[in-house]
Amino acid sequence: MSEVEETLKRIQSHRGVQGTIVVNSEGIPIRTTLDNSTTVQYAGLIHQLAQKARSTVRELDPQNDLTFLRIRSKKNEIMCAPGNEYILLVIQTPDAS
Amino acid sequence: MADRKAELERKKARLEQMRRERQEKVRQKASPAEGGDDTKSKPQKDLRSETDDLLRNLGIPEASTVQTVVTKSPSGGEEVVHTVKTSSRSKVKLSLCKVNETSIAPREQVSYSKETQTLNAEPVDKDARGPWDYYGSSQQGSPRFGSPKFSHPNLEWDDEFFDDDDDDEVLVYDDPQRSDDEADTDSMDQGVDSLPSGMPQVKMVDPAKTAEDLVKKEEPPVVRELTEEEKELILNDPEFNTFISKTSRIMERALAENYDILIDYSGGDGENKEDDLLAGERLKLNRTFYDERWSRHRTVTSLDWSIQHPELLVASYNVNEDAPHDPDGIALIWNNKFKKTTPEYVFHCQSALMSTCFAKFHPNLVVGGTYSGQIVLWDNRVNKRTPIQRTPLSAAAHTHPVYCVNVVGTQNAHNLISVSTDGKMCSWSLDMLSQPQDSMELQHKQSKAVAVTSFCFLSGDVNNFVVGAEDCTVYTACRHGSKAGINEAFDGHQGPITAIDAHSVPGQIDFSPYFLTSSFDWTIKLWSIKDQKYIHSFEDNSDYVYGVEWSPIHPALFASVDGNGRLDLWHLNNETEVPTASTVIDGNVALNTCRWHQSGHHISVGDDMGKIHIYDVGEHLANPKSGEWSKFVHTIQELKQHAAEREDDSNLALR
Repeated sequence: MSEVEETLKRIQSHRGVQGTIVVNSEGIPIRTTLDNSTTVQYAGLIHQLAQKARSTVRELDPQNDLTFLRIRSKKNEIMCAPGNEYILLVIQTPDAS
Repeated sequence: MADRKAELERKKARLEQMRRERQEKVRQKASPAEGGDDTKSKPQKDLRSETDDLLRNLGIPEASTVQTVVTKSPSGGEEVVHTVKTSSRSKVKLSLCKVNETSIAPREQVSYSKETQTLNAEPVDKDARGPWDYYGSSQQGSPRFGSPKFSHPNLEWDDEFFDDDDDDEVLVYDDPQRSDDEADTDSMDQGVDSLPSGMPQVKMVDPAKTAEDLVKKEEPPVVRELTEEEKELILNDPEFNTFISKTSRIMERALAENYDILIDYSGGDGENKEDDLLAGERLKLNRTFYDERWSRHRTVTSLDWSIQHPELLVASYNVNEDAPHDPDGIALIWNNKFKKTTPEYVFHCQSALMSTCFAKFHPNLVVGGTYSGQIVLWDNRVNKRTPIQRTPLSAAAHTHPVYCVNVVGTQNAHNLISVSTDGKMCSWSLDMLSQPQDSMELQHKQSKAVAVTSFCFLSGDVNNFVVGAEDCTVYTACRHGSKAGINEAFDGHQGPITAIDAHSVPGQIDFSPYFLTSSFDWTIKLWSIKDQKYIHSFEDNSDYVYGVEWSPIHPALFASVDGNGRLDLWHLNNETEVPTASTVIDGNVALNTCRWHQSGHHISVGDDMGKIHIYDVGEHLANPKSGEWSKFVHTIQELKQHAAEREDDSNLALR
């Protein structure tokens, strides 16, 4: 198993993690642990949001860049770590204990 | 051909004739022209059909004839019908009507479509947009486009008026809020351009709709799926790998934080009660650091918190007898901030590590003292686990196990001090470990080497220090001056000294002369460098006491660990006979060392199975109250008094 797979598996094994998705620059999912329709929905929407967030950050300060995006909702938390080409998405439920 | 030409000539002549006839008629009826238009439409039509027939026979739709038609009515058949109808109603305004008609006709169609379509779905609105734009194109086409929902009921109302008057129609569309017909109509007619301004609600609706539309438009392309090959390609891309390694690190840190930022303390009663219970808890296990690969079966020999990065803890480990192929000495740097369960850095060396510390003024450097006598230095900026520097194994340096390493001094003038069990004390520059800057034999009474197991500099002092030795004795010593070396011996312990710690809590009153020692004799003793007899002996343990350390913020609080796995907190202003708080670590382990975090709220303890336990100290116990210093003076005086009485008793007993 490749290092990437191992890493994703490790993340997925964290307590409270519902799903992990890797999305490319066009919002198309590359790797996912969720079912297809949910993945496509998350990938498309979060990708747009991340792009918007990034452009916001850059517009405020051209030297700045987006490094992490956390969306806390009532039911769960969506965390996005954007890279240049891809976005790592993790959906977790708040402390399940 | 000639025949055809002749025929053409004939027909042309007839056309001319017809035209002349018509012009004459027009001239004759010039005065009642407008009114009579209606009646003339029939003969005109006949004429037209005639000419049409002629042209058709020729097979050429002549441009000239078309023009003549244009003068009469430019629009299609249907519209002509409309024209007829409308003109019949408003006879007086005939010329005006014609102008209006061309623009009204599309409106009519639009309104119908809107009525029916808005009920069903949105896309219809887009279709409606065109006509609306024509209507108010000069100023605000788009606000109107969004209006259907609001104007819908009005449209129904308007429909009834369509039949009556076309002008009314226009008015009602523009201003749906008004129900009056006549008065409004006039104003509308005049100011069609300025009308839109009166509909603010309509504007609100518009942007929302366009946004929805946009989202809907963008969604479909997302559905495209990558093929397995494409995915495989991406997965093997080195850039993708660096991306994953970078982001996963961040993600894991984020995941490890399980604080619920939405926690509501005013919530359920049950929760609040729980919190009260927690507040009452004095020692609470926070977490455990353990790595299956590196710390299994290794005794934790020493611990040290970083000053620059308070969350970092370095731990040294002894040899693992079960893994002969692994390096003997291991030092791991753990991170207490993130709940990440693996060490931040792994360092190792050839010989078992007896002691370690952060190089106080160099956040990147870690020092280790080994069983062989070598001092090793790691740098976390260099991506390797082996030491970047090590001292030579020679008579000039240490040849015995080094249990004591520490960096003393200031930012600009500091040294690494190390002491080995043969009593040799060396002072090093961190830049050059090839040879000590200074070395000294710690000997008692010029002959007996002191087997040093622990040492500690007095608070704020770089010269005077105290050492604990294997011979059950505690010594004070100096690095420089006429009295360099061992000065005084403090007898009292019955077993080798395991740890020693000088009081260093800053405050109004200086307690720097006081220090604590722990020993194999199951006791902890409180001393003052001014008095060779111990002030107090804490005798609550029933095993070797391996570690003792003062709290860094509370003058009367210290922690101790013993071979039974017991961690004790002694609050001397509170109780001197038994520990104030006590806990036993699970797993039947022996605790080898303990270390307060600089905040004074956590204690790290290392056991003989390779685990490090981080304990949280209850706030009320960890934080000193304002009167604590003066109270501690009284406590010490009391203890001294008891000590004097005890001395008298023993003296009496001896006689």
